[in-house]
Amino acid sequence: MRRHLVGTIALLMVASMVLGACGPKAPPDFTGRTITLYHFGDLSGPYAAITAPLVHGAEDAVAAVNAAGGIYGATLEIQFADTAGSIDEAVAAYDRFTGADDNILFMITYGSGEVEALAARFAEDKIVNITAGLSARGFYIDSGYTFGLGPIYPDQFGLVMQYLHDNWDTMKPEDAGDEIKLAYISWPTAFGQGALTSETRAFLEDLDIEVVVEEVYDLSPAADTTTAILNAQAAGANVIWTNTLAFGVSVILNDLNALGLRDQFVVATDNWGMDLATYAYMADPSYGVGLISAFPYLWWTDTENAGVQYAEGLFAANERPAGEHNVGYLLLVAGVDMAVQAITHAIDTVGWDNLNGEAVADALIDLSPFEALDGVLRPDYSGGSRSPHVSQIRMIQGGPDAFNILMDWTETPDLRPVE
Amino acid sequence: MAILRPAGEFDTSYASDMATIRRPWQWCLLLVFLLALFTLPFYASQGLVALVNRIGITIIAVQGLSLLTGFTGQISLGQAAFMTAGGYVSALLVNELGWPFLLALPAAAIAAGLVGLIFGLPSLRVKGFYLVMATLAAQFIIPWFTRNAFQDVLNGAQGLNVQVPVIFGVEFNTPQRYIFLTLTVLVLTTILAFNVTRSRLGRAFISIRDNDLAAELLGVNLFKYKLQAFFLASMYAGLAGSLAAHQLRHINSETFTLIDSIIFMGMLVIGGLGSNLGPIFGAIVVEFLIEAATLLGPFVAMIFPAKSAGVVQALRPLFFGTSLMLFLIFEPRGLAYRWQLFKAAWRLRPFSH
Repeated sequence: MRRHLVGTIALLMVASMVLGACGPKAPPDFTGRTITLYHFGDLSGPYAAITAPLVHGAEDAVAAVNAAGGIYGATLEIQFADTAGSIDEAVAAYDRFTGADDNILFMITYGSGEVEALAARFAEDKIVNITAGLSARGFYIDSGYTFGLGPIYPDQFGLVMQYLHDNWDTMKPEDAGDEIKLAYISWPTAFGQGALTSETRAFLEDLDIEVVVEEVYDLSPAADTTTAILNAQAAGANVIWTNTLAFGVSVILNDLNALGLRDQFVVATDNWGMDLATYAYMADPSYGVGLISAFPYLWWTDTENAGVQYAEGLFAANERPAGEHNVGYLLLVAGVDMAVQAITHAIDTVGWDNLNGEAVADALIDLSPFEALDGVLRPDYSGGSRSPHVSQIRMIQGGPDAFNILMDWTETPDLRPVE
Repeated sequence: MAILRPAGEFDTSYASDMATIRRPWQWCLLLVFLLALFTLPFYASQGLVALVNRIGITIIAVQGLSLLTGFTGQISLGQAAFMTAGGYVSALLVNELGWPFLLALPAAAIAAGLVGLIFGLPSLRVKGFYLVMATLAAQFIIPWFTRNAFQDVLNGAQGLNVQVPVIFGVEFNTPQRYIFLTLTVLVLTTILAFNVTRSRLGRAFISIRDNDLAAELLGVNLFKYKLQAFFLASMYAGLAGSLAAHQLRHINSETFTLIDSIIFMGMLVIGGLGSNLGPIFGAIVVEFLIEAATLLGPFVAMIFPAKSAGVVQALRPLFFGTSLMLFLIFEPRGLAYRWQLFKAAWRLRPFSH
């Protein structure tokens, strides 16, 4: 009898252990601990005008994550450093941050130049760099820990050129011929020249697109692009690509209209070029009509999307000024969500004690492809890629915010450089 | 300042008259200072070490400008461009030709010196404002060249990733290690600057600065000495450019800009023209001001959220411009002169006059 009783108790204990293991596991609790995201951008240099919304987007998103309980109770913190758009300052900020914290998981950067300069350091120190500075060199030359929020500029450029090639009959200016002749008019910077690589040149050659002129202009809202445009016209160009942002695109549109040449060119740009901030520098909002850009995220007007609704709620709750209702804010709310997903996945995989940059990098790859902020961003780092390979193409077809979809999410050409 | 020494103290030989450091305790102080500086990585934070590293490189560039502008009176706004030349040469020699950094560094200095000679040529025919314009040309031509010439080697606007210096198997890949390189070069350039300025060469420089016509009448070859000053200044810039490029691990046409050249000039004014301590004081003060503006930026942005970009953008120029203006009004001879006065007052205590 006693033997039966002992056996029954043992059986019940084993059964309860098995059932316990099969049941829902209590989430870990890291209340009282802190995870810091390091974040640097240009608040006092040439890109300052667009950085403030990025900073505020990150701050608001982090505050919202903490208000919702943080990451398994751990508080998310954000530290910002101003780089003044200079590589020197970016390296100084990096040194300051890495000197103060020997287990940094994430850094968030924007400038292509600083991404290129810091790429080797990120790889050496095994710190994940989530960046909006999408120059290919920063991702694939002496790199390994740089992850893009969008496709690299060569991929964006390739996608738009492919689209124009496939739809030239409907897209071409009235008097243009059957061949696409491209003028690359951009800033003389790592960002400005970031799309025109040997890979994209070969790609254009395959598409029979001829680069007839390459011109540069000053990184300034007061730059004069008249000569560059007239040179493009003289060379027979019918498409202008500018790898710039906001005021970089605006000065070209202003000068094209001033010269009365707007209808002779298709003007196309990278993701940063089509933004609310672009209108701040345009002499007339109608000048923006017809601008085409790669668009690797959703926009504020996609109000049916839960992620956009969330970002809109944060924006309103924090009473941000209307001028910041632009790409920077939205992108960073999504970027923080991406960081939270990666950190959460890394904790689930390796635990808190082994949480480091390497684990977070593995998590980003392991999660891929995934959606950040309910599809506002579509990161994908699978197959050795460190930037997503999907984007929309949008066109301005009205006033500010009328960034209409010309082509829905499509795979971009893979024009990454050979490592 | 020798006249402000206490009564009864005389130099009894030419060597003692020319000595930079006169007393044993001064040697002791210098050694303690150097020891503190070279052991900085062992007790200071990485951020501070990186800042000191940056200041060290800046001092080298400003020392060159001091020889040219402070001692020879040839105003140049091309110092940052010569840094670009040095940085690119060093990067190419190490990256492409596999030269060791220790050889590439002096080669970069010489190459930048030669580039400086080209832009120094107009100095014989023009001076003052017109020479400023001639040197300003360097600040446009050299970056243009790096962007547009030999794109397959120089990589256009995107520039070059630069290898970390490796010396005897040690990689200088952290601020804590790199500072030893910077400080060693800085000590050497400081010794060279002190020695140049008290030599025949330095006296010729000063005579050209004070009155070039009189100097020429006295037999000073203006062409030769002005070009030597340009060569030396650009050589210093080349050293600084090489050190900076390898420390940043990257160089492009934007790394050293016209703004840097202007700031170097401001450092020289704040530190004191015509003094070897001027570049050191000036670079330290201005770099700390810039650092303060950088660190204050995010806080100021929080205070003025609606105008954050504009306000923060104004901080650096505001700090730099205000300090430069105040120095020009209240102490145009710079901090080095103030330091001399302080030392004299200390020596003559309790009689300050």
